[in-house]
Amino acid sequence: MAGNFWQSSHCQQWLLDRQDVLRERGNDLKNLSEEDYQKLMVFFANYIQAIGEGLKVRQQVIATATVYFKRFYARKSLKCIDPFLLAPTCVFLASKVEEFGMMSTTKLTGTLANLLKTRYPYAPQEPIRVNQILEAEFFLLEMMDCCLIVYHPYRPLTQFLHDLAHSKEIKDENLSSLAWKICNDSLRTDVSLLYPPYQIALACLHIASVMIGRDLKNWFAELSVDMEKVFEVMQYILSLYRLWKNFDEKEQVPLLLQKIGKPSLGPSLMDVNSCLL
Amino acid sequence: MQKYEKLEKIGEGTYGTVFKAKNRETQEVVALKRVRLDDDDEGVPSSALREICLLKELKHKNIVRLYDVVHSDRKLTLVFEYCDQDLKKYFDSCNSEIDQSVVKSLMYQLLRGLAFCHAHNVLHRDLKPQNLLINKNMELKLADFGLARAFGIPVRCYSAEVVTLWYRPPDVLFGAKLYNTSIDMWSSGCIFAEIANAGRPLFPGGDVEDQLKRIFKLLGTPTEESWPGVSQLPDFKPMPLYHPSMTFGQVVPNLSSKGRDLLQRLLICNPNQRLAADPALQHSYFTDLSTAEL
Repeated sequence: MAGNFWQSSHCQQWLLDRQDVLRERGNDLKNLSEEDYQKLMVFFANYIQAIGEGLKVRQQVIATATVYFKRFYARKSLKCIDPFLLAPTCVFLASKVEEFGMMSTTKLTGTLANLLKTRYPYAPQEPIRVNQILEAEFFLLEMMDCCLIVYHPYRPLTQFLHDLAHSKEIKDENLSSLAWKICNDSLRTDVSLLYPPYQIALACLHIASVMIGRDLKNWFAELSVDMEKVFEVMQYILSLYRLWKNFDEKEQVPLLLQKIGKPSLGPSLMDVNSCLL
Repeated sequence: MQKYEKLEKIGEGTYGTVFKAKNRETQEVVALKRVRLDDDDEGVPSSALREICLLKELKHKNIVRLYDVVHSDRKLTLVFEYCDQDLKKYFDSCNSEIDQSVVKSLMYQLLRGLAFCHAHNVLHRDLKPQNLLINKNMELKLADFGLARAFGIPVRCYSAEVVTLWYRPPDVLFGAKLYNTSIDMWSSGCIFAEIANAGRPLFPGGDVEDQLKRIFKLLGTPTEESWPGVSQLPDFKPMPLYHPSMTFGQVVPNLSSKGRDLLQRLLICNPNQRLAADPALQHSYFTDLSTAEL
């Protein structure tokens, strides 16, 4: 469904205020620095990507799952539901919503076990059970107030690239694929919680054009958009790249996970309920 | 769930039982649709998710309102706006007589709900009188988006009722994929005729072949000339060459000539020529309708 973004639940309920996001995150930031938190979000976005690739789902499913993950933890502490449980739950739900088709839960748990063993030996190895995922799915739905349709920057990006090709006769495969890649990377920041997708698309396009030395100043000048906002998005993405450069997952993630503390994982419903209240 | 007092069972939906209930605080009457989770592997069924997704995004007076989704005891309940009856039950109550101004009002509301869905790239894909709810103010609301899946094929049908062919367009009966708004327009045409005849279905076919024959007996069998590409459809099979033997005046005797004109534009076999919802709303049949009160 590609309806009207401006009337969507994404626009009306899920464009959050930066101050609110930081306040909600306050509990987690008692144990983690802002940078630690960002690193964990990068790690789990990569983890969702790995699960998605292991199950051979489309990028759209991975993008939607990542936004679900961020929405949940924008409202709840990392201690509430173990992110190693919530990540596959997000992929499971997103694959149904994006009509990728029914995902076999056996295949999902199998993929997870294999992934943890081979690529994430430093992560907790307790197997995730199907009923935990089904239970977490409920909490995820509830926390998102059932707002399941997510608008991504890919579609506006495609339109902007199309416009560039027509109005300025700038058609550059490198530019397109780089901007696309930056859109994927932007999922590792908070921008999908804070800015409408067209602003994210423009920021990605802007960064891409600078990186390959394409001058799009005039084209940007002709757009009647709030460039201030676009620059804000760019700052998020550029600081992600700075952070990423010095982030060795293997080395740092075990320590970061320790800092979160023991999450009240799925099996005992009481625990989760008390933390969700 | 203590918030709601269950009053009575209303029916079986695509994926669960529907109850009439009352909000204990506000006294408001609502419809509760309990989602069955009997498949241990699927979690929340796709059909329920589909309905939740769409109704969260589509808010319009001719589309049934989803008020809330309640989780309790590891069950999921959708809370809908309550409507007294559906169009099928309304037909049962009207004794084969219907005022033509009611026909016009209902059809207008159906098209307006559809136009809104289509503007948001949502296809209903399973329009039929049972899915059109009517409240006591004679407001019509599209409901049951549970079957509105990518290929329009219900995953599972829980109710004993067989998924009906009566409202399916010939292109879909010939195996065309359901990716186009024209499918809903055909269904709306069939429903238009059924309303105008106070509940007598237009094409009550028993199987796919019978369904096609009934359609072609009224409209004439399409040819490559009238419908280029028809013989290339996946399930196409040559049908007897019928010529229209009845006029629309005989089919819908109570409908005005403008109404018949609108109906004929909706019931066009070639999906590319079928009228869309927006122009249908602009049709002269509706010019004397006082839309202010709808």
